[in-house]
Amino acid sequence: MRPWLRLCVSAVAAAFLTIGQAQAQAPIRIGVLLPLTGPFAKNGIENWEAMKIARDMINERGGVNGHKIEYVHGDATSPAAAISETERLITQEGIKITTGSFASPLAIAVSQAAERHGVFHWETTGAAEIITRRGFKHTFQVGAPARKYGQVAVDFIIDDLAGRLHKPVGDMRIALLWENRAFGKSVGDGIRAYVAKKNIKLVFDEGYDQFSTDLTPIVQKLKDVHPDVVIAISFPNDAILFQRKAKELNFNVAAFIGVSAGYSSPDLRKSIGSAVDGIFVADFPPKVNPKVLKPEVRKIADEFYKRYEAKMKRPPAGHATAGFSAVWALFTEVLPKAKTYQPDELRAIALKLDLPEGSLVNGSGIKFTNFDWPDNPKDAGQNLRASIGVWQWTANGNEEVFPPKLATHEPTMVPLPPWSKR
Amino acid sequence: MTTFTQLVLSGIFIGGIYALMSMGLTLIFGVLRVVNFAHGEFLMLGMYGAWAATRLLGLNPYLAAIAVVPAMFLFGGIVHQIIIRPSLDKPHLVVVFATMGLSIFMQNVALMVMTADLWDVPPMFGSSVHIGPFYFKVELLLGFGITILCTLALQWMIRSTFLGKAIRATVQDGEAAMLMGVPVPRIFLITFAGGSALVGIAACVMMPLFSVFPTVGLNFVLIAFVIVVLGGMGSIEGALLGGICIGVVQSLSGYYIAPAFGQMFFFILFLVVMIFRPNGLLGQKGAATIGINE
Repeated sequence: MRPWLRLCVSAVAAAFLTIGQAQAQAPIRIGVLLPLTGPFAKNGIENWEAMKIARDMINERGGVNGHKIEYVHGDATSPAAAISETERLITQEGIKITTGSFASPLAIAVSQAAERHGVFHWETTGAAEIITRRGFKHTFQVGAPARKYGQVAVDFIIDDLAGRLHKPVGDMRIALLWENRAFGKSVGDGIRAYVAKKNIKLVFDEGYDQFSTDLTPIVQKLKDVHPDVVIAISFPNDAILFQRKAKELNFNVAAFIGVSAGYSSPDLRKSIGSAVDGIFVADFPPKVNPKVLKPEVRKIADEFYKRYEAKMKRPPAGHATAGFSAVWALFTEVLPKAKTYQPDELRAIALKLDLPEGSLVNGSGIKFTNFDWPDNPKDAGQNLRASIGVWQWTANGNEEVFPPKLATHEPTMVPLPPWSKR
Repeated sequence: MTTFTQLVLSGIFIGGIYALMSMGLTLIFGVLRVVNFAHGEFLMLGMYGAWAATRLLGLNPYLAAIAVVPAMFLFGGIVHQIIIRPSLDKPHLVVVFATMGLSIFMQNVALMVMTADLWDVPPMFGSSVHIGPFYFKVELLLGFGITILCTLALQWMIRSTFLGKAIRATVQDGEAAMLMGVPVPRIFLITFAGGSALVGIAACVMMPLFSVFPTVGLNFVLIAFVIVVLGGMGSIEGALLGGICIGVVQSLSGYYIAPAFGQMFFFILFLVVMIFRPNGLLGQKGAATIGINE
């Protein structure tokens, strides 16, 4: 009997040992909600590629605490699809951590479904302020909130353009043009409030329908008020129509600042060619001056840019870099400190994060609000150290030009040459 | 005054483009009494065709019409045989839903094949024409000229050719026409295909002015419907006048009132015309039931 018993014991022990090992190697599964089909697909795919690079890089370095990272994708093509895909990942795949989701309406939907199940949601790029104003406990928005896009455009005019144009800030003629749906209106509202605080008057403040087929009236109206600077919030199709109409009616300005969306889209150069050179874009920084990055982050940044360009044949846009930066922070700052990888533990770790600017590849730091932010005590989970800046379309790509700390280049083409010379 | 004149002239020219885009719809509605809800997607398909001919074959977008127009004629013929003809003798709702379904189908196929990207053709003319204080895009002037030519050609075809006579006979009384030896089903086929070919011309004229993407048709189709009804449901020169009215109203209201209201003002114009001239600007009495007029 004895040898038989010994065999049994050792077999059981061996079994336990294998299970133990298997547990140590079990991957951490993360639900990635991104639109890979449908109207948002273009940007969704760019984000997905950037996030996959982050996953590969961390797994090549041995993963997180010995666990490999595994993505489970949910196709968030619309807010409704975002909710059902998030539900599917949580209830059928057993996902406890979600990330994504590129656009604000999708982020609102995904975070809502995640919160309902008490799942930890790490939002990379959604910008609407409502995302972190609904009293959610497990939603963390790593990217900058919508109001900052507008503010940085105004700061750029005050701190930089006014000097370059040799005009006192009070004499600058600033025009604000916004598409009149959710994104354009909320950014426009933010800019209006911010310039009022700075005692600057807008010479033009007009919303327009982004599906309009003729922008003659707007361009003509702008032409008649002779602005020095135009701040425009547009989507790709109307941005293209506007620039073509401006050329047709010979409407010239000293500086043109687009806010994210339409003006950061690679389609713009494809459509209007070199006329895009010189346009400024208030946006997530696609790349920042390496000097602001911690030395170890600089190495990560170099590797990311190299891999992204090799795969996509062009440098990443601001939102793709933001997507990489956010998940890399999740892999290197949040998950390694966890033991159970359960949402409540991850929330506690996230709230303790206090990373100075320059800690993430796109120049951001991390410090989340937790119902304790004086400007808005309802806000929870918004990163107050997310970087935002102004970049410029150049002949070869783009360069970050503002704030000076993040800048990779001085602003050029100020004032913007007239259409006859562009 | 300069601004006002610029706005009116720009409105007239863009209105001409709108009219050209709705001419195919007018023709089809005037003869078959069918509203093609996939009209915007026909335009989208034509624009992709013009884009492909320009980018891949290196043709000038206007010359691309040589390839796009026959292709659209063929496409229209196939759609007629497969979708329109079987639903003609069914209740009117059938053809409404059939073309609506076709519209959604075409949008999604375009999304799968061409993705959501915006595509353009390179500009042909460096700068716009500068007449006194006024600026005009050459492509817009060319487009307006082509619209006038198409209107005249279509009028001539309907008034003076044998085919035109057969079309008019079909419209006036299909059964009598058939008894007189007019091949009515073939007239329907030719009209539907011809209407689609007209959309092909519009697509080639619009490609240098607008970007193409899967849902581009939605931006234009509402304007096209309003023009057809405004002009007199089947009247070709009515469509031209309707298009110009909409172009000018859009341009002036956007400047003097607010661009944010977008399409609101031409719908107000539309309502006013419908109240005071229920048959449209140039429509004859009972245009909705009579069809195309001479």
